[in-house]
Amino acid sequence: MSAAPATAGPPAGTLSAVAVPARMRATMLRRSLREHPGPAVAGLVGLLAAAWLIWYALRGDQHTLGLLAGAWVLGWIVLPLLLGGGRGRVRPAHLRLEPIGGVPAAIGLLAASAIGIGPAVSLVALAALPVHAARHGTVAVLVTASGAVLLWLLGLIGSAIALEVVGHAGGPVGALLTGIFTGTAMGVAGSLWAVFPWVSVLLTAAPEGVVRAMAYVPSGWPITAATGPTGQGVRRMAALVGIVALCAAAYIMLVRRVLIAGVPFRPRATTAASPVGARRERLGWVPAATRAVTGREARAWMRHPLRLQYLAFAVVYGALLAGLPLLSDVDLLLPWAGPLAVLGAAAMSAGLVGLDGTALWLPLTAPGGERAEVRGRALAWLLVVTPIGVLLTVAGVILAPRVDALTALSTLPALLGAGASVPVWVSLLRVRPVADPRHPTSADNPTDIVSVLVATAGGLLAAAPVLALAVWGPPEAAPLLPLVGLLCGAAVWWGGVWLADDRLARRGPEVLAAAGQRSRPPETVIPLTWNVQWYRENTATAWALGLLTVGWIPLIPQGVMPLAFGIDGGWIVAGHLDAGARTAVGWGMIGVGVAMLLAGLVLWDRRPAR
Amino acid sequence: MIPPALEIRSLVKTFAAHRAVDGIDLTVHTGTFHGIVGPNGAGKSTTIGMAVGLLTPDSGEIRILGHDALRDRGLTRALTGVLPDGLDFPERLTGAELLRYTGGLRGLRRAAATDRAAELIEVLGLAKGAGTPLADCSTGTRKKLGLAQALLHAPRLLVLDEPFEAVDPVSAATIRRVLRRFVAGGGTCVLSTHSMLLVEQMCDEVTVIHQGRVVAAGPVAEVAAGSSLEDRFVELVGAEASGSAGLDWLTGAR
Repeated sequence: MSAAPATAGPPAGTLSAVAVPARMRATMLRRSLREHPGPAVAGLVGLLAAAWLIWYALRGDQHTLGLLAGAWVLGWIVLPLLLGGGRGRVRPAHLRLEPIGGVPAAIGLLAASAIGIGPAVSLVALAALPVHAARHGTVAVLVTASGAVLLWLLGLIGSAIALEVVGHAGGPVGALLTGIFTGTAMGVAGSLWAVFPWVSVLLTAAPEGVVRAMAYVPSGWPITAATGPTGQGVRRMAALVGIVALCAAAYIMLVRRVLIAGVPFRPRATTAASPVGARRERLGWVPAATRAVTGREARAWMRHPLRLQYLAFAVVYGALLAGLPLLSDVDLLLPWAGPLAVLGAAAMSAGLVGLDGTALWLPLTAPGGERAEVRGRALAWLLVVTPIGVLLTVAGVILAPRVDALTALSTLPALLGAGASVPVWVSLLRVRPVADPRHPTSADNPTDIVSVLVATAGGLLAAAPVLALAVWGPPEAAPLLPLVGLLCGAAVWWGGVWLADDRLARRGPEVLAAAGQRSRPPETVIPLTWNVQWYRENTATAWALGLLTVGWIPLIPQGVMPLAFGIDGGWIVAGHLDAGARTAVGWGMIGVGVAMLLAGLVLWDRRPAR
Repeated sequence: MIPPALEIRSLVKTFAAHRAVDGIDLTVHTGTFHGIVGPNGAGKSTTIGMAVGLLTPDSGEIRILGHDALRDRGLTRALTGVLPDGLDFPERLTGAELLRYTGGLRGLRRAAATDRAAELIEVLGLAKGAGTPLADCSTGTRKKLGLAQALLHAPRLLVLDEPFEAVDPVSAATIRRVLRRFVAGGGTCVLSTHSMLLVEQMCDEVTVIHQGRVVAAGPVAEVAAGSSLEDRFVELVGAEASGSAGLDWLTGAR
């Protein structure tokens, strides 16, 4: 790939070579903005968050502000791994055939990385630091502004390194990191009620422990450099410069290695040669074909980056959802860590067939292969997830000995039974193939929300009788709960297996064909200039764009911010009302925002292919 | 009377408005090498896919060693070994694990599967591929591992789609020897290929497919009709030998 002219000519100068990646990136960004509203919508949300950070900087606590700035930079480094930020990015491998050295290439690539919505929004957000320092005078503003630029560079280089080393590695590190991050985000989002009191304490004034810790966090250094003793300030700013320089040197080495070696740096773990020699027979009671599929699946669970990501997500999600309420002294949910993790694992397994590409041809050419495929997949899932569920549940029971754990323990087998088989059926029903089954990255998760919801519903269906009996049943029925859980798990297991068997036996070739459909239909091209004709001809898409852009306004500033943070600016409707009406209007705004965004998504999904 | 190893009658398959296979009749006699040739998009892989059950035909009949392949799918699968082209493997398994997996899938006893896999790995020169995840294997190694899994359960009919693609000459010679021994032992081998030379060297009979129809079929010498199979093939599919005009900027004296 090259943006250089095709005709032969004099070698381009270093400056021109440095500019090539930036020009490539600008072209990619323009195209991406035309084809999809996602980046623009994400940019708008980011700007709202940055505006809130600047607003907080005007009167907030300096240590909390440093912590938030650090979280922002960390998010900038980690989020692209999760959201597919590697796509549309100019990478060192793209310059392999160009006559360009390591240093100019690295500078050019970093310049290219700086072109985008994320870096621009981050620069705005980090402006919160000099805004906060304004109360200490001009020198403080200049020092913190320099610090903000250094933090911005740290985010820029860190993100480039993370994407190159982890995001494209297809290895376990990126997968686990992404799984932990998404699990944390979802776990915290699901425990907002428990996290808010702690967050409000932090926003008012950082506790002593946070203040002490922030002395060692680089994002806290610019403000302390401006407000503390001069000697300490110089040392901290010098340390920040040193960290940025170290990261830059590491990135230059990485780029040079790719250019010289001629292959992208890919620290993928290779599996040691496994001898064909006979091994101890396990699962001897299972038919040989099912045992073979179980073995294949068990290995895939331990080696496939996206499956590792799913497992990491499930564990972190379950643990946080059950554990975070401890921040509000609520330990009732601790024994539910296991069931919640199992439910999360089931939801994340709703697209497993698509991860394997067209490998389904092997069971489809073997006698009885369909049955073995379904049962082997379900059995392997049980073997992998059951220990996780049991361990987390037992840990929860130990940590909260006074909490009645019978319902949680009884729900576990129901969720395990459903989680093993229902996702197999769902993933055969809605095959979403991964773009590259050989080297998928953590950014290529093909699972869609509908499949996730159906798989989750399967688990909830299995658990419903247990929960109903526990809530509404007579107290003397409590000893029956484990038996009900087991029976429900077994029933939904067989139901899921029957449906999956039927699907694969009747529609095997159809499922295989769907697994091979990796190319997506061309995206709708959105004009960047005002084109009345286009909007007339694409009414649904235009509405989708409008709803997806505007829907955030009632959701975040009009709904979440006044309810969660007590923000009541001039244009925030709920801010002008009393307690009861304020809550009602805030929730109403959230409802309107969610409805607008959902309607936008539905309309966007229905846009005609070009 | 020995039934044909593969017998296809009036096979039809349509994808949207495109009729990929348009009433194909094909007979592969037991104990022979049979080549299927045709230009890109002629319908070879679609025909093979339907024969082994990876695609569902719109209409037509398929019989494998006398059994109805559309009704007695389990039985015909047991008799057939398949190497499709362009499909994925369980990419996280190593080559050895793939063979162990397919052995189990085919219901082989573990000890037998282990012995056969070890022998195939040695004969086909797959020692390195045996310990490497399939995702990291070269195209040639993947082809050889695919062939090994197709042979593992000692099928009676072997259906191979482009088996020599990206395989090095030494390995290709080994594979040819293995396949000749397989056919000499009573097995039948159907292979789809673009190499006319390979068909001339290995096959007893050939079927030429063009635009979803059979345009010639029979013993190789008969189809070639006195000229080379390649010339005859070009003549049969009606292609004009392009490449002799234009490109003066490339071929002119400088």
